[in-house]
Amino acid sequence: MATAIDEDRLSQTFAALANSTRRAIVARLAEGEATVNELAEPFEMTLPAISKHIKVLERAGLVIRGQRAQYRPCNIDAAPLEDVSSWAEQCRRVWAARFDRMDDYLKQLQRQRKGRPTR
Amino acid sequence: MTETIGSQDDVVMERSFDAPVELIWQMWTDPEHFKAWYGPDGATIPVATMDVRVGGTRLVCMEMQSPNGPMRTWFAGEYLEVVENERLVYTEFMSDEHGKVSSPSQMSMPEGHPTTTEIRVDLEDVSGRTKMVMTHVGIPSGSPGAAGWTMALDKLAAYVGTQSG
Repeated sequence: MATAIDEDRLSQTFAALANSTRRAIVARLAEGEATVNELAEPFEMTLPAISKHIKVLERAGLVIRGQRAQYRPCNIDAAPLEDVSSWAEQCRRVWAARFDRMDDYLKQLQRQRKGRPTR
Repeated sequence: MTETIGSQDDVVMERSFDAPVELIWQMWTDPEHFKAWYGPDGATIPVATMDVRVGGTRLVCMEMQSPNGPMRTWFAGEYLEVVENERLVYTEFMSDEHGKVSSPSQMSMPEGHPTTTEIRVDLEDVSGRTKMVMTHVGIPSGSPGAAGWTMALDKLAAYVGTQSG
């Protein structure tokens, strides 16, 4: 059930993922843990810039930083997405809106056809 | 979590329309009709080409307004089953404007994360009205966990696009 808290979390999740660099970081972490240095490798960005992106993901609960070792490896936490915005849930919403529009469009078409004089 | 990705990612939707099956078939197969409803909200479909026969290809362009100007996303696919007024099955994946599959790195994804989904539409005449069942299946490729993830992210990206307009 969508509560206010879930909605806030949903917004935070979307905001965190509304950035191609952060999506790439999350996708990389889906394959396994990585250090900030490793995450920064594919990007032409400074380490502080990458760290900033990781902090945004951390606040959204999508990334967890390890406490062990000075490198503090990053790990993914899929819970925010699985809970409130699974692929299936997103998909269902998009299709439901589409079929509503199809229904409206059909009514509009049929009105036009009925309005046309018949012989 | 004990469910497999396959069953978890199936989306099945049933709708009834007050229109004959022939017209609903055209909604899916006639580009001009398709553009009128496909959306999603806040998006337009400037391009839709459909070679509706088994093995034929399709290409759809979605345009969304973003703070940085219009953002175009292309989806291509192939028709797998075409039974007029009854059943339509096609695949869908993100592509470039020529229908060539986008490599994962072009979508800011690491290599090894292709995402193809399959859309099945079944139509049934119920005394002049149409019962439509649409099934959207995520086809996992690569590691099972990662595939579900990538698809979720693609849909999220599209969703975020619609929300910012």
